[in-house]
Amino acid sequence: MATSLSKQQQSLVASLADQPEISGTLELVWRQAQASLPSSLLDDWVGACRNIGVRVGSNAAIAFIRNSPSVAAAAGPHSVMALAELTPEFAALAGDHTALALLVAAPIAARRLGSAQNFAEWLRVIKRIAEAAPESVSLLLEKSGRVLDSLDVRSFETWALGGIRAAENDPEQRLKFFALLDTRSLHALEQGTGSVAFTDVERELKAFVAALWRTIPPIRVLPPAGFDTPRRTCFVNGVVRVPQSSRGVDGVGGKDLFRATLAHVLAHFQFTPGKFAVGSLKPVQIALVSLIEDARVEQLAIGHFPGLRRFWLPFRLAEASGVVTAPALMARLSRALIDPDYFDPHGWVNKGRDLFFAERVRWSDPAISRTIGGLLGNDLGQMRAQFNPRTYVVEPAYRDDNQGLWDFPAAGAAAGEAVYDSVRFEQSESEPADRERETETQGDGSANVAQLVPEEAEVGIPVARYPEWDYMISRDRNEWTTVSEYNPADGNAQKIDAIFERYPETAYRIKALVQAAKVSRPTRLRRQREGDRLDLEATIGAAIDLRAGLTPSSNIYARLERRWRDLSVLVLIDASQSTNDIVKGAGRTVLELERDATSLLAHAMDGMGDPFAIHAFCSDTREDVHYYRLKDFDTRWDTLAKRRLAGVVGKYSTRMGAALRHAGRDLAACHSYRKLLLLVSDGEPSDVDIADRRYLVEDARRAVLSLRHQAIDLFCVGLDAGGDSYLTRIFGRSNVIQLDRIERLPEKLPLLYFRLAG
Amino acid sequence: MELDDFRIGEQPYYRAIGEEVSFYKAAYAERMPIMLKGPTGCGKTRFIEYMAFTLDRPLITVACHEDMTASDLVGRYLLDAQGTVWHDGPLTIAVRHGAICYLDEIVEARQDTTVVIHPLTDDRRVLPLEKRGELVRAHPDFQLVISYNPGYQSVLKDLKESTKQRFGAMDFAYPPAAIEAEIVAHEARIERAMADKLVAIGERSRNLKGHGLDEGASTRMLIQAGRLIAHGVVVEAACQIALVLPITDDADIRGALTAAIAASI
Repeated sequence: MATSLSKQQQSLVASLADQPEISGTLELVWRQAQASLPSSLLDDWVGACRNIGVRVGSNAAIAFIRNSPSVAAAAGPHSVMALAELTPEFAALAGDHTALALLVAAPIAARRLGSAQNFAEWLRVIKRIAEAAPESVSLLLEKSGRVLDSLDVRSFETWALGGIRAAENDPEQRLKFFALLDTRSLHALEQGTGSVAFTDVERELKAFVAALWRTIPPIRVLPPAGFDTPRRTCFVNGVVRVPQSSRGVDGVGGKDLFRATLAHVLAHFQFTPGKFAVGSLKPVQIALVSLIEDARVEQLAIGHFPGLRRFWLPFRLAEASGVVTAPALMARLSRALIDPDYFDPHGWVNKGRDLFFAERVRWSDPAISRTIGGLLGNDLGQMRAQFNPRTYVVEPAYRDDNQGLWDFPAAGAAAGEAVYDSVRFEQSESEPADRERETETQGDGSANVAQLVPEEAEVGIPVARYPEWDYMISRDRNEWTTVSEYNPADGNAQKIDAIFERYPETAYRIKALVQAAKVSRPTRLRRQREGDRLDLEATIGAAIDLRAGLTPSSNIYARLERRWRDLSVLVLIDASQSTNDIVKGAGRTVLELERDATSLLAHAMDGMGDPFAIHAFCSDTREDVHYYRLKDFDTRWDTLAKRRLAGVVGKYSTRMGAALRHAGRDLAACHSYRKLLLLVSDGEPSDVDIADRRYLVEDARRAVLSLRHQAIDLFCVGLDAGGDSYLTRIFGRSNVIQLDRIERLPEKLPLLYFRLAG
Repeated sequence: MELDDFRIGEQPYYRAIGEEVSFYKAAYAERMPIMLKGPTGCGKTRFIEYMAFTLDRPLITVACHEDMTASDLVGRYLLDAQGTVWHDGPLTIAVRHGAICYLDEIVEARQDTTVVIHPLTDDRRVLPLEKRGELVRAHPDFQLVISYNPGYQSVLKDLKESTKQRFGAMDFAYPPAAIEAEIVAHEARIERAMADKLVAIGERSRNLKGHGLDEGASTRMLIQAGRLIAHGVVVEAACQIALVLPITDDADIRGALTAAIAASI
């Protein structure tokens, strides 16, 4: 035994021949190896050490020897052998230096992975990455600890391969991704952490907010920040910005954290009437005034909803012990102000509590926050407790960053920065989102359109030529117009989703209406138990049974019923320049109303599974009628369709007849009992090459008539911008629904459905 | 006589909110057809029972449904050993013998059904039984009352203009919080403080109308929650049973409601 041992030892020494300093610690290394590896593996292990020493270098061999015990302890002895097997191969793939990084990262990874199987998986993934992105793998290995803290080995693979794919053969991009410098990388990492994405819980939380306060403020998601930076929700001018996702804190789940946050922010909205002026307040005073204000609005909210306390209390982890620093004291104070069971021996905390509760009757007055906060700030200053505004983070975690409470003077931005460093941070981050909002609110203003029109360089593909009716000669001009299909531009899909938030009631009513409409061939149901007339045959049969002394069937009635829905709908949107006009009394453009109406209808029809399509058109002379397929019958009402609908801009003219014919051709190909072509327009067919206003009206009328012959129902939702409405001339009086406000759509729609069902 | 079964035996509890009782009495004096508008569970049916009792008239209630036909109201031929025999429907019974006929949720019924009430609701006060070739003249005590829930179910089933215009209308809504709490406390036999809490919870759920709920919790639902509480069920569970689970199957909305209830107690 002793000889075999020394043989192993000798061979180990031989593999480290050029590293004399290690031989001193050889005894220790050997004992550790013996302790962590079963004796059956020792020979192999020594062999592996030599192999690594020869093929990769003695540095690697030393790293292997040193790290083997911890790997073995965390992930089992076989993991050590697997590592030994991969190391030379790895060196060949990505270089000796990287192989060394692998050996250094191995124990860190092993500790987090915990089992031999996971460790083997991890090695496999690392090898794949080394093959695909050799330059990045050592960076990745350096970050192993952090990455594996967030991800298990499966999601690690997904994450890493996702990164390689996202970078599209750009090594620099890949480096950024694996160094966790890329926000996408962080985002992807955060997704895998078991954290809750706000979008996943958004609907429930919005409903919660609506239930309590009756209103839902606009809520936007903040761009992802650094992985280790605690994010706080912020609100500015009524818009709430929440972190993209939340892992929760202190044992409270992400959803509960979001809920507590929104409850807190909404308490501000209810009870903080205006912003505080910064004036000559010091940073610590600002922080304290905010803290008192937080407590004040929470107490008021608890007055209304006593149960809210239970949502907030789990976060108050400040304890009456530990080092007395300003942030610690402030965390203790905020707990003392809301947790009735908390006792704090510290004089300052007690003073704050006494001051606050002495003003109980005046809690409705925000001025007390300023007074109390100012006083406490002075005291804290006199205690010489250090307060560093740059590192100060509002506690507990569910509170907002308090920026929304203060009116920082615009010119004195520098002062604001000095107050809270995080201000600058937040503002710079929210800028892109703000820009997005501006364009949203400017919407389709004509100025915007003017910019967008020249940008459009894309060419349409001519797909069809249609005749045009000339009323002067009472004859079709054959092949007169050319319809070209263009790729629709993308807009912001959120704009469409916001419509449902704006008109929740209308959306619901329209949905109910569309659902209730049974548009199909009526069927006569015979031998029914209930019905409005006797089924003659069944009645005779029953009478015969009676005479014969048998028990007659009670199913002797008949009735007519429409049982199914068999309806295809094509919504055609007029996207001409004139739709940029403001609708009188509505204060919004025709196009915006068109978009609202279409979205509401689409939303309703989508729920029913009716085939429907959304197309848009405008025209630039008879040679170029632009036609956009925003959504087709066979595609889904998804984000893409919404983006396209949001991206429609009003430009050029309205050659209605050609567009109707083109849409009608699509619809005629559908196999449905009823086919509905719904034009949403502002009612003025025109084009630059036509001076006679009547000409295009008559042509459109002609198109409508000929489509009716093909059993297509045509209706028009007219959003009258105040001009002469020719729509009744084109569609017939009873086939036009005139709207000035979108809320009236559900009132008017029944008209249309009655006709279809009739 | 034969309508004794339709008389209200005991005085029903009804807490008047405004002048509705005297208004109704005036309308009945003129036999004016009346439409009771308002969301479900706000007390329309209870009100009409209370009025029938107060005026000492029999009350025939018909719950309308979407498969209901005109025959279900006026009557139909049934088969017996000798052949067919006519059987009066509830409306015809009320017309012949002088009852208040209450058509609950009239919009649910099909349009062609509702037109049979037209000749009854103008000066003629007659009911033609087309299939039987009979014209029934209304008993002097007969009055027609319908309930109608605007914006409920679907607009498609809205009443025809020609139907609407025959009625006088009384608007019902969920009572103001204080009165609603009084009603809940009385009906569920619970303490006022608990009733106040339930009413506050009811308001949370009504806020969700249009944000995922078709209709918020009605006074009736609050009373049911109260009754469970009176039997010793804990508040959270009673609210789940009576206010959350019946009203929605949407997990998000359930979560939101549950949290809102937790916030209110």
